[in-house]
Amino acid sequence: MHKNGIGSNQIYGENYREKRNAALTAGVICVILLTLTVADFLREDRLFSPQENRVLAAKPELTRESVLDGSFMKDYETYVTDQFVGRDKWISIKTGTDVLLQKKEINGVYLGRDDYLIEQHLKADYPEELEEQKLELLEKLVGRWDARVMLVPTADNIFPQRLPAYAEVYDQRALLAAAKERVGGEHFIDIYDTLLQHSDEEIYYRTDHHWTSRGAYYGYQAWAAAVGETPQDFSVETAETVSEDFLGTLYSKVRLPVKPDRIEYFPLTEQTPVRIVYDLQKKSNSFYERSYLETKNQYGYFLDDNHAFIEIDTGHPTGRTLFVIKDSYANCMIPMLAFHYEKIYVVDLRYMNGKLFPFMESYEPESGMDVLVLYNCIHFLEEFRYW
Amino acid sequence: MVFSSILFLFRFLPIFMFCYFLSPGRVKNLALFLGSLIFYAWGEPVYVVLMLFSTVSDYIHGRLIGTRRGTRAAKGLLVSSLVINLMLLGFFKYADFLIQSVNALAGTDFPQLNLGLPIGISFYTFQTMSYTIDVYRGEAKVQKSLLDFGVFVTMFPQLIAGPIVKYRQVEERLHDRRPDILAISYGAKRFVTGLAKKVLLANNIGLLWSLIKDMDYGEMSVLTAWIGIGAFALQIYFDFSGYSDMAIGLGTVMGFEFPENFNYPYISKSVTEFWRRWHISLSSWFREYVYIPLGGNRKGIPRQLANIFIVWMLTGIWHGAGWNFVLWGIWFAFFLILEKLFIGRILSRLPQVLGHVYCLFVVLLSWVIFELETPGAIGNYLGAMFGLGGQPIWDRQALYFGRENLVLLLIGILAATPLAATLTQRLHKSREGYAMASYGILEKVIPAALLLLSIAYVVDASYNPFLYFRF
Repeated sequence: MHKNGIGSNQIYGENYREKRNAALTAGVICVILLTLTVADFLREDRLFSPQENRVLAAKPELTRESVLDGSFMKDYETYVTDQFVGRDKWISIKTGTDVLLQKKEINGVYLGRDDYLIEQHLKADYPEELEEQKLELLEKLVGRWDARVMLVPTADNIFPQRLPAYAEVYDQRALLAAAKERVGGEHFIDIYDTLLQHSDEEIYYRTDHHWTSRGAYYGYQAWAAAVGETPQDFSVETAETVSEDFLGTLYSKVRLPVKPDRIEYFPLTEQTPVRIVYDLQKKSNSFYERSYLETKNQYGYFLDDNHAFIEIDTGHPTGRTLFVIKDSYANCMIPMLAFHYEKIYVVDLRYMNGKLFPFMESYEPESGMDVLVLYNCIHFLEEFRYW
Repeated sequence: MVFSSILFLFRFLPIFMFCYFLSPGRVKNLALFLGSLIFYAWGEPVYVVLMLFSTVSDYIHGRLIGTRRGTRAAKGLLVSSLVINLMLLGFFKYADFLIQSVNALAGTDFPQLNLGLPIGISFYTFQTMSYTIDVYRGEAKVQKSLLDFGVFVTMFPQLIAGPIVKYRQVEERLHDRRPDILAISYGAKRFVTGLAKKVLLANNIGLLWSLIKDMDYGEMSVLTAWIGIGAFALQIYFDFSGYSDMAIGLGTVMGFEFPENFNYPYISKSVTEFWRRWHISLSSWFREYVYIPLGGNRKGIPRQLANIFIVWMLTGIWHGAGWNFVLWGIWFAFFLILEKLFIGRILSRLPQVLGHVYCLFVVLLSWVIFELETPGAIGNYLGAMFGLGGQPIWDRQALYFGRENLVLLLIGILAATPLAATLTQRLHKSREGYAMASYGILEKVIPAALLLLSIAYVVDASYNPFLYFRF
């Protein structure tokens, strides 16, 4: 087969050129493979990939058992792939090629219109049983604590006009309706339609899965209306920008050149001095931690990223207490709630061990406390659990 | 170890090739043999012993048969060799299938053995059988060197996914091979082409199929079902032929000439033609060692049809120990027989395009049987393809899948035709200056680009399946 076209009657010159050409071709392929092999032997192992935000596999230990059961070979293969020279660049090349192929979905993220990255959620990943299990837990909590529940839909639900054509979306309205029915309308704060009305505004980050301070403000308004409080005014004009180069979690998943996000906060929330204790140890006098703005995790600016338990003395002498059970969506909304409570306790169930109700009882003042459950729908299904 | 991995491309391959090409003369075979053992043991640290047993067994059988040609003893030895090979295959591949079937039919409760299937066992047992049969028939010389024979059986390029090489096809090259630079260059290009087919096309198109395969067939639209099975058809073709290309390429670099395994099967105009273009090394093995010995087409039409039926039932079950594979084989036997009887004559009078449509239709439906295993799933999926459950013709999801994968599928469809090969040939043969110049450049740029892209997709491989674990 390789001898095609090289008859013995051909002139010497042509044969020579053919061979030189072949040598060059083989050379190009060999050089690529060899250069990368040598470069890969020379590079050093990394513990962590900031680009992928995960710990990379380390060299496995060579033992008799691990060889015989094949686990050494498997682990070694993962190790070599994870540590391969220029890994981040290769991943960027792959993503770039996917974009050239007109893919609108990369790593579970839709490349939406108006420079929006929108996280993909599929109904199939959240079966009825899971929903039922979470709603049962929620019902128990609301029954015991007379709690209010706010479940925030994710951006794919609120920005249909920004999704790629025909993109599949997990419609969270059914979940919200089911939750409302289970806990009763008076306990449920429905903000789906409110957010939908503002879907032409930047109520979610373009590069991150969280809602923005502005989105949280609409959540706060809905909360105030539901509980009969007069909301503070945190309209657009009162916001101040603290960062203009935020590239969030969705950016990390696609690594494409995109316009960075702005992070805003409301200076009004800083007028009263607060005292905050994170996880019973770390003390702070602000809802905001500027140091995070210098890291990749800029959303950590709000309430010092994630903590199992936060105690807040708001400095607003209302005499009332609020206990919030929440995910990271709540972090940028809690400063607004501070106007209505003197004391706020915040629990993130992901990091909490031990029984929830006795823990809450131990912080409940004699006059009682309000309880708020605040999650986005997806985190609610994935993370809401307690004993 | 699979070819489409960082481990193979940047550890095994460079180190092996370095040792191999540095080894002088006869030592090359030792390097190849040891390299192949490491390659195999990496994935099957225990079953490597089984492969060595099979090697030694057939080596001895071959030698014994060689000195007794034409005697009854030779026949007995051949039978012994075949029985041992088929027992190995039967025990490790089909025992649980048999136990299950017996339990289901007789209501018994024999426990399963739950042995893992040794990778490549169906390939290497078929290779070693071809050796003893050919020696018995006098079509191949006895291999006196255990090392050379070991190289034939264990050679890593075609060990785990074919092509199935008959002994006499490589007999000479086992001790005498001198690849020139043209062969090395061709082999390298061929390897890169195969890698790209596997990593860029098969894996990415397979991702689409894996999504659709997991859906509820009662809910999906007709269009989704067809997109899904079309995607699988492209996936298995590019995966399998990609592996063959890589094997042939690596073999060529070392001076072997392996048989071709695929020849653009999806451009066939009949099922008969499809099987002349699909997994050629397997069908030619069955033709030579089963179909023709059974009488082939020399004993009248009824006998021929029966032979076709037997051969394709075996072909089916070769692909995996499951009733769906038997059914898959019978499905093809049915159409092959029909074509022998009358469809073939009708097809030859009709416009060619109808032949293409008919053949693709039969083949696409066959993939449902091949891939979905249980009667329930097969029935439901076929139901979805024809909207039998009242499924809509198309829906939003089908349009999304179509839109999202349109470019990829179009590239896949074009790559499944001889278009690129024809253009390359034309450019290569042309003696006009600009054509020669552009061939010279493209011949380097395209493989380099494909290789770099493939590496990128291997590094970020969220989906890199090995489809032949059941073969």
